[in-house]
Amino acid sequence: MAALSSAAVAGQNSDFAGLRLASTASVGRNVARRRSLQMVDEFDLPLEIIDRRVTKMKMISPSNVAVDIGRTLKPHEYIGMVRREVLDAYLRDRATHAGATVINGLFLKMDSPPAGSGERYKIYYNEYSSSKSGTGEKKEMEVDAVVGADGANSRVAKEIGAGDYEYAIAFQERVKIPDAKMEYYKDRAEMYVGDDVSPDFYGWVFPKCDHVAVGTGTVTHKSDIKRFQAATRLRARDKIAGGKIIRVEAHPIPEHPRPRRVLNRVALVGDAAGYVTKCSGEGIYFAAKSGRMCAEAIVEGSAQGTRMIDEADLRNYLKKFDKTYWPTYKVLDVLQKVFYRSNSAREAFVEMCGDDYVQKMTFDSYLYKRVVPGNPLDDLKLAINTVGSLVRAGALKREMTRLAS
Amino acid sequence: MVNFFPLQKCQNPASEWFFVFLDSPFPRFPSSRSRIPRAMASSLPPSHPAIFTSLSTKPRRRSHKIHLTFLPNKLPSLFILRSSESEAGGTISSAVEEKKAEVSSSIPGLVAEVKAETMEKPVVSLGLNGAAADSQTVDQVFKDPRWVSGTWDLMQFQKGGKSDWDGVIDAEARRRKWLEDNPEASSEDTPVNFETSIIPWWAWVKRYHLPEAELLNGRAAMIGFFMAYFVDSLTGLGLVDQMGNFYCKTLLFISVAGVLLIRKNEDIENLKKLFEETTFYDRQWQATWRDDGSSEIKNK
Repeated sequence: MAALSSAAVAGQNSDFAGLRLASTASVGRNVARRRSLQMVDEFDLPLEIIDRRVTKMKMISPSNVAVDIGRTLKPHEYIGMVRREVLDAYLRDRATHAGATVINGLFLKMDSPPAGSGERYKIYYNEYSSSKSGTGEKKEMEVDAVVGADGANSRVAKEIGAGDYEYAIAFQERVKIPDAKMEYYKDRAEMYVGDDVSPDFYGWVFPKCDHVAVGTGTVTHKSDIKRFQAATRLRARDKIAGGKIIRVEAHPIPEHPRPRRVLNRVALVGDAAGYVTKCSGEGIYFAAKSGRMCAEAIVEGSAQGTRMIDEADLRNYLKKFDKTYWPTYKVLDVLQKVFYRSNSAREAFVEMCGDDYVQKMTFDSYLYKRVVPGNPLDDLKLAINTVGSLVRAGALKREMTRLAS
Repeated sequence: MVNFFPLQKCQNPASEWFFVFLDSPFPRFPSSRSRIPRAMASSLPPSHPAIFTSLSTKPRRRSHKIHLTFLPNKLPSLFILRSSESEAGGTISSAVEEKKAEVSSSIPGLVAEVKAETMEKPVVSLGLNGAAADSQTVDQVFKDPRWVSGTWDLMQFQKGGKSDWDGVIDAEARRRKWLEDNPEASSEDTPVNFETSIIPWWAWVKRYHLPEAELLNGRAAMIGFFMAYFVDSLTGLGLVDQMGNFYCKTLLFISVAGVLLIRKNEDIENLKKLFEETTFYDRQWQATWRDDGSSEIKNK
């Protein structure tokens, strides 16, 4: 959704007929998304759609050691919480203003022309216009290029045989808690780590407009997700006491890109391509950015809409995206591998997060989407501290095993 | 010290607590499955009335039913906790449901949690009247006389005038083990602010590094001695001459690396897996490039 909207806007300054198939009937990732400053600036998002500004975060280890994060944030820095319904609607409207045609429909399948023939793609979809109710009417359309931005269960991806990815399941309950308790979460988000909450991810309590979202996720133990959710609720029990669950939602989160992201004149962006980072599970910024990059590549490759593009143009978008964001993805992958391995590693992680330098580096890279090399001396100190934390936690783990036996 | 009492023996003569296990009045759900932390024993000091959790497990591993009941003096009250889950894992479409999930009842310290997806009625929670002042939390909280307001009281760890850091390490390990088995709610009122970094580095070194270092150095010494003798008997090169030789230096390097990296038999497999892991993510990202057979394999 976000990806395609950015794509549409990117193409606004040239001769493009941007058609958008926006299915509001499909299941979207309707969870609160964290918005970084970079995204707000880069995509000119209005501040009204941001429900809440989170400036404090608490990371809680398996043994409930809580560390406050956010001391290093400057006054103008924050993590914005939005509702996807609101954000998506805004982006769709903006795309319409930019000249795109938005169709409320569901993509069904697609006929691909033979490779290199230059013929058009034929798309079959169900259109849900407001006059008719129920299943919508079947329609078809012919297009030159297709950008698949239909999320983790992408049908476009299936059509081009993009292959599968491993995915995490993220499960979330929206809980309306009493105002007194909501005060605590006014600008604070919490992250819980531990084997009880998730064996390879984290549990969270994120504030939204007038309620909180309590959730967790996992890749390897999907069938135990309810147990993990119960454990997350237990860990946050005192702080969400008296709450009422108003909504339950779940969604798959890709763990890595699909084996094939581009085929002839079809490209995938966002969750459909699998652009979700490890460790934090962030995908919204990369969805929007990849959408924009793909559109820019199409605009460039077709010389402002005057000639047909081919696969090489779309591969340019892939090249640019991979080159720009590979360090981010790799660093987060390493972090996940090192710090989400076991309870002792998570304890070390939380301990590390208490350090000011770590917080500053983390926020700089998250808010501005840059992996910035810091001061080498501080980096060295950080490395030593990291090793120290991991060693201590590992030593305690050995004691714990000795106790168990 | 944390005391562990077997379930049956714990009785507090000071109050007339007794416990009754009752079956749930609600219909059973064939796929009900729930799991609570494995709280097998109570560790409360004898001055508190005891609360017990019983875990009744059926032969079928996946269906557990938990009964939590306790009765105060003379006022029979019943509290039943049940959590049922559907079998569906995997992707669930977003469901808008109006649920009455009482995350906490009005009883101080007592929490009722119900996830009533298939149940129509909310859980029965009869009020605990009268014994509110004595009410206990259903799940056992970590308690230790030396654990004071969220951290270890170092004053209580003195041994012969100096801090007993080994004792602190033991205590912290015990606390973490307890919490791993019985996860607790994190609380704003009693935050945990213990940091392992207050234990000085030499305490860690003495306890963990030195024994391991002794072991590894011992192995290296044994290997070194016999290899030096063996090579000397084969080639006639003494120790000093061996050190000048390229092959011998390589062999030395391999031996040292081997001793350091392979400490247990499992390490060989672990190292192989580790190497696989470090490059796995890269390969996943490059999959799209290998597709078209172009030589533009990005070296990231």
